[in-house]
Amino acid sequence: MPMRVLVIDLDRCSGCDSCVVACKFENNVALGNYWNHVKPVIPIGTHPDIDMYWVPIQCQQCVNSPCVAACPTGASYRDPDNNVVLIDKEKCIGDKACLVACPYSNDEGNIRPSVRWFNAAENVVEKCTLCNHLTATSDGVENREDTTDPAHAVPPCVHNCSCGARHYGDLEDPNSDASKVLAQAEADGRGIHSIEAEGASPAVKYILSEEIATWRGLGAEEAPTRFL
Amino acid sequence: MNQATMTRRSFVQSATVAGAALAAGSALTGCFSPSDSGDEGTGGASEISMYVSICHGCIQACPCKVYVSDGVVVKIEGHPDAPTSQGSLCMKALNQIHTCYSPRRVLYPLKRTGARGAATAAWERVSWDEAIELASSKIAEAIEKYGTYAFFCSVGGGGAYSFMQAMTTPMALGSPTVFEPGCAQCYLPRIAVAGYMYNGADQSIADCAVLEPFKGLAPLEEAKGVTQNTKVLVLWAAQPSVSQTAQSGRAMAELRARGCKTIVVDPNFSPDAVKATIHLPVRPGSDDALILAWYRVILDEKLYDEEFTKYYTNMPFLINPDTKLPWLATEVFGAEAQTTPDNTPVYVCVDENTGQIAPLPFGDPAEVSKTVNPQVLARADVLGKSSRSAAQVYRDEADPWTLEKAEEFCWVPRDRIRAAIDLYTSAEVAGIANGVASDMEETASQVPIGLCGLDMIMGYVNKPGATLTQNGPLPPDGEAPRPTRFWNGFGGMFGQMYGIGYEVGATREANEGRIAAIPEDWDPEGPMPPFMTQKTLYAMNQLLIDRLGMKNHKGLYEWCHSHIPTVREAIETGEPFKPRVWFDMSGNKFAVLGSAGAWYNAIMNDGVDFIIAQYPMITSFQIEVADLIFPLEEWLEATNASAFGQLNYAFPSPGIIHLGETVPNSVPPKRVIDAAAAKLNEKLDSITFGATGKSMTEMGLQFPLGLGVLGGADSEDAEWAAQIANFGPVLGLEEGATRDDYLAAAKNRSDVYNVTPPDQYWTYGQHLVTANDGLPVGFGTESRKCEVYCTLVIKMGRNGFPYCYPREQAPIDPRVGTFGGDYSPICNVPQQKEAPEVANAGNFIAPYDPEFPLAITSGRVYYFHHGTMRHSAFARELYPVSPVRINPKTAAEYGIANGDWVEISSRRTQGETYDHTRSVGTELSYSGTKAQNTKTAEPIRTVAYVAEVVAPNVLWLERFWNPECFDSTQSTKTGGWAECNINVITNAVDPNFNEVFGSYTNRGFAVNIKKSEKPANIWFEPTEFAPFLPDTKNEYLPDDIGAAIGNRDLITPPVVFPAAAPAGGDQ
Repeated sequence: MPMRVLVIDLDRCSGCDSCVVACKFENNVALGNYWNHVKPVIPIGTHPDIDMYWVPIQCQQCVNSPCVAACPTGASYRDPDNNVVLIDKEKCIGDKACLVACPYSNDEGNIRPSVRWFNAAENVVEKCTLCNHLTATSDGVENREDTTDPAHAVPPCVHNCSCGARHYGDLEDPNSDASKVLAQAEADGRGIHSIEAEGASPAVKYILSEEIATWRGLGAEEAPTRFL
Repeated sequence: MNQATMTRRSFVQSATVAGAALAAGSALTGCFSPSDSGDEGTGGASEISMYVSICHGCIQACPCKVYVSDGVVVKIEGHPDAPTSQGSLCMKALNQIHTCYSPRRVLYPLKRTGARGAATAAWERVSWDEAIELASSKIAEAIEKYGTYAFFCSVGGGGAYSFMQAMTTPMALGSPTVFEPGCAQCYLPRIAVAGYMYNGADQSIADCAVLEPFKGLAPLEEAKGVTQNTKVLVLWAAQPSVSQTAQSGRAMAELRARGCKTIVVDPNFSPDAVKATIHLPVRPGSDDALILAWYRVILDEKLYDEEFTKYYTNMPFLINPDTKLPWLATEVFGAEAQTTPDNTPVYVCVDENTGQIAPLPFGDPAEVSKTVNPQVLARADVLGKSSRSAAQVYRDEADPWTLEKAEEFCWVPRDRIRAAIDLYTSAEVAGIANGVASDMEETASQVPIGLCGLDMIMGYVNKPGATLTQNGPLPPDGEAPRPTRFWNGFGGMFGQMYGIGYEVGATREANEGRIAAIPEDWDPEGPMPPFMTQKTLYAMNQLLIDRLGMKNHKGLYEWCHSHIPTVREAIETGEPFKPRVWFDMSGNKFAVLGSAGAWYNAIMNDGVDFIIAQYPMITSFQIEVADLIFPLEEWLEATNASAFGQLNYAFPSPGIIHLGETVPNSVPPKRVIDAAAAKLNEKLDSITFGATGKSMTEMGLQFPLGLGVLGGADSEDAEWAAQIANFGPVLGLEEGATRDDYLAAAKNRSDVYNVTPPDQYWTYGQHLVTANDGLPVGFGTESRKCEVYCTLVIKMGRNGFPYCYPREQAPIDPRVGTFGGDYSPICNVPQQKEAPEVANAGNFIAPYDPEFPLAITSGRVYYFHHGTMRHSAFARELYPVSPVRINPKTAAEYGIANGDWVEISSRRTQGETYDHTRSVGTELSYSGTKAQNTKTAEPIRTVAYVAEVVAPNVLWLERFWNPECFDSTQSTKTGGWAECNINVITNAVDPNFNEVFGSYTNRGFAVNIKKSEKPANIWFEPTEFAPFLPDTKNEYLPDDIGAAIGNRDLITPPVVFPAAAPAGGDQ
């Protein structure tokens, strides 16, 4: 079974939010909705002995995908061909059951960090699709001559990432970019983490070296203001 | 997921919540692939074409691919072949779609119809002919009535880079006045200092001077064997991950991943500080002391590169205590001591082998060391005067700055400082890359002099991995002349064009001979071009002498710019002359000028007769005060022939689409000045040339002076011709190809770029090549060495050398010079005028003012470049205002919690007449002619971000302005510059200027903070920014024209002008 994910290198991520904007342009995400969000994990310690990092968070492509089980209409589903967790907006009735079931979303789908968002104008829930409309048949290894090549396309948040921090691909395919980056990080002894939540078994992986910062997931505290 | 629904869903429909009608025919889809030009839905089939271009969203430039459908740009992405950004693209580039199609675009010439002021702003669309006639008439009328100095220009760095045009436009009409809010406050001090010290590339990372550390990072280059060599990179007051997000920011991520260690000096816990090996969170404005602490350790422990310092720097030179200049061997030992050519003076040092003074000639260290072993730290009697070596002068200046003292003064733990020095000095090769912070402080000259000198004494010069490297092919041995440098304007162009300026490295006789060879009048049979005459030289030299603020801040000559506070005072007082008609060529002056309120008051109260502006957008400046606006092309429309690129790659910048009647930024200045010159040349007898009291006829001059307006072309076609000349060969285009030919050939080709072969670009040891006089080439300074002790600034302060030549500028007021009345040739610590309470600061800080107990500094954020992009809904929903960063301890003292709205005040928001005796002033304030009330505006407000990211008593705030304040949906309109803008409280009025460059204080000044409330007109919630989305009606077009995006009526070919009217005969 394919396991398409993002692998995000937090040693590189500078928190620039460009992935957020790349996503908004590609997917026409409304003002105030964020299919991905870059959460600053604010410093611990006392100045100047502090560390921090940023966690870009979007649909975690959970192995258990509780959203699929919770959906009464079958709108939340896994792509039968590539196993990506998706929402069929034609079937979505906006009852927000998936928002409640998803441990990474707020129940109304309207406050960051939430990986699912309620689109009030269309009365549907939306989320990161791994840009399946571009990548459904991609092997996750970009064709630099033609970045739109469907056999090799990657999501624009990955392509444009200002720090080369985001990687896309099938973890079951050892030749995908995501698999290779993860294997290299493991070989280099860098920390590989997930944002664990009960019952979810998230597939998205984060790389963070101890010398940059101590992994503490999304952080114990909320970001001090919503736009930092 | 329904693929069809997804691909056909209109970008506009879902990207906005506003109900504005979408113009029929818009094919602006958000999701697509070229193969997906389907025909379902009602929009019909639309072909999508890709063109290679290069983003102009910041001072750097990221190659990208731009996708166009039906004349509308639908997608931008990074170009994977880019050697630094490697396909990365930040939101400043992505949001260019919203910039180009913004409801705030100016698409036709606009004339103000209401009174000045945002509340009364109203506009009338006029034709280009009418606009140029109006502008040229206003300029000509003012010059006829008040003389040539009545006209002035300004420019800026955000979004419309008209530097050359702005610099030469006033000169063309005989005026010396031009300014740019950056300049002395951004980059000029650093580029100038590198020129003074070694005539080489400077250390600025943002301005693409620093290239060497970023080579060999891309797979395409690695495959060619190009390697990355920098082992340690010091980011001194620079945050590339923020300021140049996808270019230098990407490169920093790559460097760190390859094991390069970084030292980051920044009061803020910036993203680069977060990732640093060592972070030195220096107290704002105390970098000078920290630098001297580095010198103290490096000199005392002999951590410097001994051979380079002895033979390729002036550190061993003994300094005459009276002149503060190095002793010449001819003065001490007689004429026969001059053993090298006359253009390469022999100096004097202490010979370490004998302990005696000895001549120190320039030459190959292997040869020179046979006769003398120069002692770096030395004292000696020279002609009865107790003299010190330059290094000793430096060491004595650094004496107070022990690690302990630096910790106390700079608020950085001593162990961290020591660890940083060790890392920097023990590296096989390292480099310092600096940023803009020091340019915005009183130490604008001291800090880059200190930092450039550090890399020099470490010998990190012209070698793989060093910041101070040069690029391009090396000359063969025995052919290159002794290097020299002309001055005035970029690269000394005005020296070469008009003769003004001294050629450093040539002898005085050679310079005098060059001037003498210029004919009185143009001789068609003679060797000189028509603009090279004694009359033009005299006039241009006069402009230098009369330029505002030059007496005290002569470093501004480097870019031929005026001193901004002095220009404002001249507008306020009419002394020494009143600038009256203003042509601004950039964006939001009120966002980017220090003490913005003082400028607003000067314009509104004291009067500028007419203001012409050109910019693609309406900003606070245009809405408040512009009388006429020329519409400029945005990046996606603009064909720019200049070579933009990354490292050894040059990428094209074609105008891919076009809207309304926008034009390239070079067109209006050239057209307006030609038209004004034609009017003025009718009346040369009665037009006074500036302050000379002589008429243009008596001066033997006509308009335009010299070569007229330079930079860019006077038509779109000419810009295209240059673009095609650069990139036509890659596309197989013949000479004479057109815009249509180019767009047809470049369509869907990703390989449209030029690459210089690595071995012709990455070259080293430039100073070691043998010159045609048998000596090593060396450096283009008077001594032919790296002048760590920067002799040039001492000479400059005294008479304008090497700029103001042959006729000299007056010496500086001795109160200006921090080095015993001269400009300081080394890093020193002038008294900081505004600071929080610092223990045992002595005279290094003026008496503490408890009314303003906190230090504030600023920096960029990822979302914007300078004043640009504040209208971008996707940026603003993420960053609606710039929060002030405050330490939890300090926040608690002031009762401030996370997310609270706060008010920040400084002396600029408090009434008080400044005491010009307490610090460096303008000429008018010294003479007592000008009294300035320091209150120029009300305090600003923003939101508090409480975290350990800054030290206690330090605040950090990005500069900001709010275009929503004059949106048509607002019931009460304001200019949007006064609410949240740190430049309301920065200090360009209470004199505190850098001695050399006149830089005023935008960072490192004192403020107070208290809880407050959100300003009324500010948008804060994401959906409030909907009016900025591109389907919203254009703010400045009639209702029936509607939105810019997808509107067939506005998708137009470039504007074609008739051939320009001749401006007059040859000179």
